Amino acid sequence: MADATLSPAYGEAAVVAASQGRGEPGWLTEQRAEASRAFAALPMPTTMLRPWKYTDVSKLVIDGYAPASAVPSVIGAAPQGGFAGPLAEAAADATLGPIVEAHLGSLVPATEGKFVAANAAQWAGGIFVYVPRGQAFAEAVSVTIDVPDGEANQGAVFPRMLVVAEAASEVTVQMRSLSGAAADLLASQVVEVFAGADSHVNLVFDVDWGLATRDFSTIRAKTERGADVRIATLAIGGAVVKQFVEGILEGEGSQARIRGVALGDGDQHFDFVTLQDHVGPKTQSDVQIKTALAGASRSIYYGVTRVEETGLGAAAEQENRNLLLSRHAKADSDPVLEILTNDVIRCGHGATVGPVDQEAFFYLQSRGLDRRQAMKLLVAGFFNSVLADVGDEAFREEVATEVEEKLAVAHI
Amino acid sequence: MTEPILRLKGLKASIADKPEIQILHGIDLEIAPGEIHAVMGPNGSGKSTMASTIAGSPTYVVDEGQVFLKGEDITAAAADERARKGVFLSFQYPTPIPGVTMVNLLREALKARRGDEMPAREFLEELRATLGRLKMSEEMARRYVNEGFSGGEKKRAEILQMGMLKPDLAILDETDSGLDVDALRTVAEGVNALKTSDMGILIITHYERILNYITPDRVHILVKGKIVKSGDASLAKEIEANGYDPILKELGLLEGATA
Ligand SMILES: Nc1ncnc2c1ncn2[C@@H]1O[C@H](COP(=O)(O)OP(=O)(O)O)[C@@H](O)[C@H]1O
Ligand SMILES: [Mg+2]
Repeated sequence: MADATLSPAYGEAAVVAASQGRGEPGWLTEQRAEASRAFAALPMPTTMLRPWKYTDVSKLVIDGYAPASAVPSVIGAAPQGGFAGPLAEAAADATLGPIVEAHLGSLVPATEGKFVAANAAQWAGGIFVYVPRGQAFAEAVSVTIDVPDGEANQGAVFPRMLVVAEAASEVTVQMRSLSGAAADLLASQVVEVFAGADSHVNLVFDVDWGLATRDFSTIRAKTERGADVRIATLAIGGAVVKQFVEGILEGEGSQARIRGVALGDGDQHFDFVTLQDHVGPKTQSDVQIKTALAGASRSIYYGVTRVEETGLGAAAEQENRNLLLSRHAKADSDPVLEILTNDVIRCGHGATVGPVDQEAFFYLQSRGLDRRQAMKLLVAGFFNSVLADVGDEAFREEVATEVEEKLAVAHI
Repeated sequence: MTEPILRLKGLKASIADKPEIQILHGIDLEIAPGEIHAVMGPNGSGKSTMASTIAGSPTYVVDEGQVFLKGEDITAAAADERARKGVFLSFQYPTPIPGVTMVNLLREALKARRGDEMPAREFLEELRATLGRLKMSEEMARRYVNEGFSGGEKKRAEILQMGMLKPDLAILDETDSGLDVDALRTVAEGVNALKTSDMGILIITHYERILNYITPDRVHILVKGKIVKSGDASLAKEIEANGYDPILKELGLLEGATA
């Protein structure tokens, strides 16, 4: 569809006009203008780039997809002085505006790639979560993006989230993404997380897009001293789900835990790229990505654990396990270590690709479980180590049901 | 006459991957309802192969002969079908099932065996009672199946499943190995208590230790894939006293011995 009509919304003039039309502050309009110029100038990533080796987007024309509106719902009572709601509202607010301005786009600059540039220029319905020093959200903030079939066919959505957690604060955000089964939807998401000293930030992404939606996300967190960031992604839906999940561990003793789970069927394509960047001393990271693949689905994992020269006494774990539930499923796994100092506590990495354990399978069969029941139990167990402490109880139940329902009909 | 719980008729079996290696060379055996049979034999004689073949393990293929459960020919049935019909195998080496709790497994297995969900309350009561019989804590039931279990815990966990699933035929493969005397007594008493009058039990062992606690109606000696001698409980005592050599010698099976 290279020659298909391009959406006029991506040009600089249109971007500026749209921003002004929404009454956005001048700095934001300027940021968007710069992003639209970057978008025009930047090439699409090619498979020559290592993180894109197995996900070919050369035929994808982002600006062939007209921006569609998708206003997420946000539920979550903020503590005193805190905020969980529309990013645009916060940007225009006298108190919150400067906080947004100081952070938005500084961790994931629009100039770093085609997809993030498109997002910076086009995001609408973004979310801002702000926790002041020493405060905590009593309950998880729940965000839902739901793009129904219909007008959004051949459309693009640009989910955006900014989380600013000040020192000793605490917040959990659970985000759920849904779209209609037939929606040929393009989603380009950017999430920036600033975790202040000794803060606890917990993000959960339940990727439940319809089976024609393609998702390209960049989720990046930066930690100050003693901060603890946890990011978990559960990918069930989507035709293509490609996520960059990155922890930039700057503050001494800070830690990042990244969890990913994907359950594939049909020709679903999952691609996780992780980065654990140990900049500060005594930083800790732990990445665990697990996929179970039915049908002709496939997964790709490429992850880098990097310990910088300044990351003395770092400890890192990186693990990717892929369970092939059918002969046609496929997984590629490539965990990489880049250690630039001798002073590391531990730096482990492991990767496996293979079918279910035949002995375990026979054990369950010998207890009367048929093939599908046995597979369901083995997959649920396989995911358990990753999902056991992710999100709240209701979220885990929801996820268990999604897994169960998908496996009830999966091609195994 | 009531049908035997288990009948093996001229059973010959080989390794599925290496069909040229036959391990069972024609086994005949009948276990009537309520009976306990013991199969004894030196290491490598084919006891576990026999157990796995009866349970329907795809590791082995039946070359000849049949397996009947309560009169029904189940030789061609898959393992899960046999289990639902009432076959239970307590494994010599139970496999860990990562991330799956014993409660989870029991609920699924019971659902498969009964064809419907067991009411939660009834399930819990049975579970508590069965755990108690085996001197197992409730915490054991919440742990992942066989993960990080000691040898003794694994064997108890197998018998726990037997007690909950109430099979018609229970095959206990070396349930006594790896148990100290106290654990052995608990497990054996558990088996005695959980056994019902119409159940058949096949105890596989290469010592006779467990038979001090569970009295078999018949004892069979398996050597090189064949039952070479059968008798009553006194046969086990004979082996306890003298080992296998005298019997092997008598039958001309002792390697290196001149007849
Ligand atoms: N899957 C297998 N692959 C290769 N050899 C096997 C396999 N299973 C059993 N055997 C061989 O068959 C013989 C009987 O084994 P087994 O039934 O485990 O004996 P037992 O339980 O009496 O000690 C042994 O020689 C063993 O090595
Ligand atoms: Mg054995």
